[in-house]
Amino acid sequence: MSDSTTHGTRTPVELAAAKWSDPHMQPAARHPEHVARVVAVCFFLGLACFAGFGAAYWQNWEPWTLGALLGGGMLLVGAGLIAWGKYLMPRGPFVEDRHPLASPPDELDAFTNAVMERGATPVRRRPILGGLLGAGLGVFGIVAIFPLLRSLGPLPGTTLDVTNWAAGRYLVDAYGRRVHQDQLGLGSVMTVFPEGFAFDDQAQSMDQTILIRVDVAPLMNMTGTPMGYVAYSKLCTHAGCPVGLYERALEYLVCPCHQSMFNVPDHALPVFGPAPRPLPQLPLAIDRHGELFATAGYDQPVGPGFWERS
Amino acid sequence: MAAPTAKSSRPSRPYGRFGQVVEELDERLGLARGGRVFLDKIFPDHWSFMLGEIALYSFVVLLATGVFLTLYYIPSSGPTVCHTPYTPLNGQITSEAFCSTVNLSFTVRAGLLMRQMHHWSCDIFVGAIVLHMARVFFTGAFRKPRELNWTIGLTMLILAILNGFIGYSLPDDLISGTGIRIAYSIILSIPVVGTYLAFFLFGGNFPGNAIIPRFFTIHVLILPAVIAGLLGAHLFLLVRQKHTQFPGHGKTERNVVGSPMYPVFIAKTTGFLFMISGVTAVLAALFQINPIWQFGQYHASNISYAVQPDWYMGWLDGALRIMPSWEFVGFGHTIPFEVLVPAVIFPGLIFTICYLWPSIERRYTKDNLLHNLLDRPRDRPKRTAAGAAMLGLLGMLFIASATDVIANFLHISLNTILILMRILVVVTPFVCYLVTWKICKELQAVPLGGRRKVANLVTLTPQGEYVATPMPPPPGTEPELAPEPVPALIETDGDGERGDGQRADEDEDAADPIGRSSVRTVPR
Amino acid sequence: MGRRSAARGRRLGALALLATAGALAALPFAQLASAASTSQHRSTTSTTLPPPSGSWRGVPPAYPPFDRHDSGMPNSTIRIFNKYGQLAVYGNRSVLYVLPQYLEPDIPVRLLIANGEQLYRANCQACHGVDANGVPPQGTPGQGGFPSLQAVGPAAIDFWIESGRMPATSTRLTQPARRPARLDHLQAIEIAAWITSRWPITPYIPKVNLAGADLAAGAALFSADCAACHTITGDGDALANSTFAPSLRDIPLMQVAEALRTGPANMPVFTGNLTDAQMKDVVAYVVRKIEHPQNPGGVGLGGLGPVGEGFVGLALGVGLLALIGFWIGDRS
Repeated sequence: MSDSTTHGTRTPVELAAAKWSDPHMQPAARHPEHVARVVAVCFFLGLACFAGFGAAYWQNWEPWTLGALLGGGMLLVGAGLIAWGKYLMPRGPFVEDRHPLASPPDELDAFTNAVMERGATPVRRRPILGGLLGAGLGVFGIVAIFPLLRSLGPLPGTTLDVTNWAAGRYLVDAYGRRVHQDQLGLGSVMTVFPEGFAFDDQAQSMDQTILIRVDVAPLMNMTGTPMGYVAYSKLCTHAGCPVGLYERALEYLVCPCHQSMFNVPDHALPVFGPAPRPLPQLPLAIDRHGELFATAGYDQPVGPGFWERS
Repeated sequence: MAAPTAKSSRPSRPYGRFGQVVEELDERLGLARGGRVFLDKIFPDHWSFMLGEIALYSFVVLLATGVFLTLYYIPSSGPTVCHTPYTPLNGQITSEAFCSTVNLSFTVRAGLLMRQMHHWSCDIFVGAIVLHMARVFFTGAFRKPRELNWTIGLTMLILAILNGFIGYSLPDDLISGTGIRIAYSIILSIPVVGTYLAFFLFGGNFPGNAIIPRFFTIHVLILPAVIAGLLGAHLFLLVRQKHTQFPGHGKTERNVVGSPMYPVFIAKTTGFLFMISGVTAVLAALFQINPIWQFGQYHASNISYAVQPDWYMGWLDGALRIMPSWEFVGFGHTIPFEVLVPAVIFPGLIFTICYLWPSIERRYTKDNLLHNLLDRPRDRPKRTAAGAAMLGLLGMLFIASATDVIANFLHISLNTILILMRILVVVTPFVCYLVTWKICKELQAVPLGGRRKVANLVTLTPQGEYVATPMPPPPGTEPELAPEPVPALIETDGDGERGDGQRADEDEDAADPIGRSSVRTVPR
Repeated sequence: MGRRSAARGRRLGALALLATAGALAALPFAQLASAASTSQHRSTTSTTLPPPSGSWRGVPPAYPPFDRHDSGMPNSTIRIFNKYGQLAVYGNRSVLYVLPQYLEPDIPVRLLIANGEQLYRANCQACHGVDANGVPPQGTPGQGGFPSLQAVGPAAIDFWIESGRMPATSTRLTQPARRPARLDHLQAIEIAAWITSRWPITPYIPKVNLAGADLAAGAALFSADCAACHTITGDGDALANSTFAPSLRDIPLMQVAEALRTGPANMPVFTGNLTDAQMKDVVAYVVRKIEHPQNPGGVGLGGLGPVGEGFVGLALGVGLLALIGFWIGDRS
């Protein structure tokens, strides 16, 4: 295993020319019989581990025993194989020549000549054919993209610009129950959806709104906030994660993904982090039964920015 | 007159039955000639050449465990009432994808082991690719003639990262679903075509019902096929161009020194395959990964805190966190730079630099020679320092993706940590460059630095002074080649052939000094 | 002699109070059942049918329409008054909210309250004031200052003391962390009893009955309401500035319920948006699953998710394999 001290054995020899008596062909181990014994033990234990894996599977033991036995068996067999290759096989080092990759110049020229002349001659005789073929392949290349790309999905249209919120839509929770003005105490928060759309997964992703009840006093010049209830779009304006993290004492909405922080009493303006725009606000009112409803939809597209968003 | 039959008239082959089998195959395939060459192929033995094998065999483990998983996983977002031994999910309505993954973990025997092996070996796969790529970079193995292999390998890295992301998003759990939401927003942020691309990929608005089945096809069919194809090309080029080697005793630009394919290399590499599978299996047995039953089904309005992507996407997450909120709004359009820059432009820039690096270095060093001998990193201080700067930048971004975990662990304000990371990400590459460059220079200045230790004979002079003199090296340990600095400008001798070093004429050694060896090979 | 019989009488009275509460538990169950059958707000009655609107997001469990009762506020199904006309216990079959003194029926109420006052004066008065009115904050709103204890309710008092956060070890903590409690359960009850006797207000101390808790519903609630701060595995993490959401491991049942109803520090208050039945489910989920996570796959890696997994995968996985590669290859 260690480098030999004699000059000769560190010099590489050609494999084909080496005779069996050459020190390069001898095992690297100083005591090959001992190493062979260790390798044998490794293989045997590996075999036992594999058998154990079979038993563990059959008897449905704990999951970790399956992996430990399989892994142990693999490790042992692998170690044995590596030890065999490293210590018991011809130690080398052997040498082999690299054939030059580059071809001789005359072959290079013959190749180029074949491509240019053999291919160019028919094209020179019938140029229109080549042009037409090229044009045909080009058009095929373009229209081939149509089914591959356009069939995949609908055009965006105005889908990203609108939600299901509109004037008069009642707020409901995740179970479809309307929200009453007594439901939330000061410092309470819940996720709401427009009535009729609470169970639509597709609508849920755009309509999700977070409803918070804050102290009336700090609300800075905000309308649509009856009794301290304020509702914002739950879609972060950075990358679209639901902003479900409300810090009651700080009155911050913190986005859990990249830690944008929105100041709730002040139009959810972002005060820290990568979010560029405040969360759109949903203006609320309370009807005579005490149930909350929206007085209008969102006045801008919700969620992260995109090219068509003006 | 009957034609001589094959068996009766030909002499019997030596080695009995095996020789007969070889003869039968050779008559049909002609394999003996090429086979001998193949068996004699020499592979250099340095330990750092094993890193690529880790990646290769992790890929094999991925394929094997992945096939198992495809037999049980259902690639559908359709609803189902999930029946599972895990009580908090039993009777809940989840997607087929999620429920099938939970049942893989709890009901299918060895299912959890296969799932965890698959996930752990993916982490190891990408890690090994990065290590291997770093080795190739720092030793200059990407130089001519291996630029194409560098390109192929880099493409495989990008595809592996992509495939890993898509793969761990397949179970449709809360945490990976959040990752898909962020990916959707990133695609949206692309100017002009972003919304179209997002709607085409997802079949509409987020989340839709199309993305899970499409991810399944991409993850199981398209990307593994492309990676396997590229891997084949990568290995073919490696065999055709032969592996590089470090300069040393008997090693020149025009030979390969090491162990033969059969039996040594095959034994070692098969053993390594077993050990990689073994380490993956032991990891999967002892360490839990991605316990999706604790995360629950993904709902678009639910979110968990402390969501990070898998480690190889961490640099993008860190970039997204530290990027200031610069969004451009004007002329009726919005360009959200706070998402576009960290998630699209920045990684595009990094990968472009990586793709172009062989050309950059060739242009900068004006070195068009063929290189089969590797550099020691210290002998190319600027390249090593540039690589260290890149690793420092990416490393800082990885750390930036864990701002909340760090703030929690150190009990420091989250805001402070984020501002600190912004500064560190900018400063670290420069510091890494300078420090690495300096270390390389210092190491170069030390004679026989990093080599086998040389004994010093310490004598006491009559004047009472201690003098240390290096002992001559023991017999048989020839001094290894001192590194030759790459000339900044190679003079051509008029016919333009100076640069390729591949002339087969007799004075090739004089023309190409790097190919000189101190001891000639033993003559036949 | 008279004192012993008086004590026995008090004990019997307290037991009768709780027994009545238990017997009355049948009533809200019947109410719930009848309300469920006449509900107009639920979409289906079966959890096995797919819900309408072509989506599968989920059919709600058999919760009644929200009727503003049974949500931790005194307008609950069970209301029991003591002989002074004070509301002593309120709640329903899922959760009973009890005035602190009735949690320790062996001790005379007057003694409890007197001890509570003494403990308050010794441990809490220095910061929270003679009249428990606190000190207004002098910095960022919501931060700093020592809050008034007059309007928080006994559940909050008990929570803060029994979780060890109070008495605080420093006056400059942004958010005190859980520590070994300096005052024991009885002392916490006594302080809460004294404060409530002076300034009576709800929520009282919750006693959750976990029988019949639906872990699946609890998991869904946890994912919707709790995971955003406490993480989906309940391991807690750092929040904005120097605040944090604590880990939910090893928290006694009562403290989970108290935290939900009182919203300590930066935690939102879950009042009407969480009925007592829902609270029972989510508390059961926290106590049974979050605090005893099922990790059949091996070591849980601290619930850190991919951060921990990345470390282990790279350091152990790739590192070990690189070392094996080091063994296989040569070193020259």
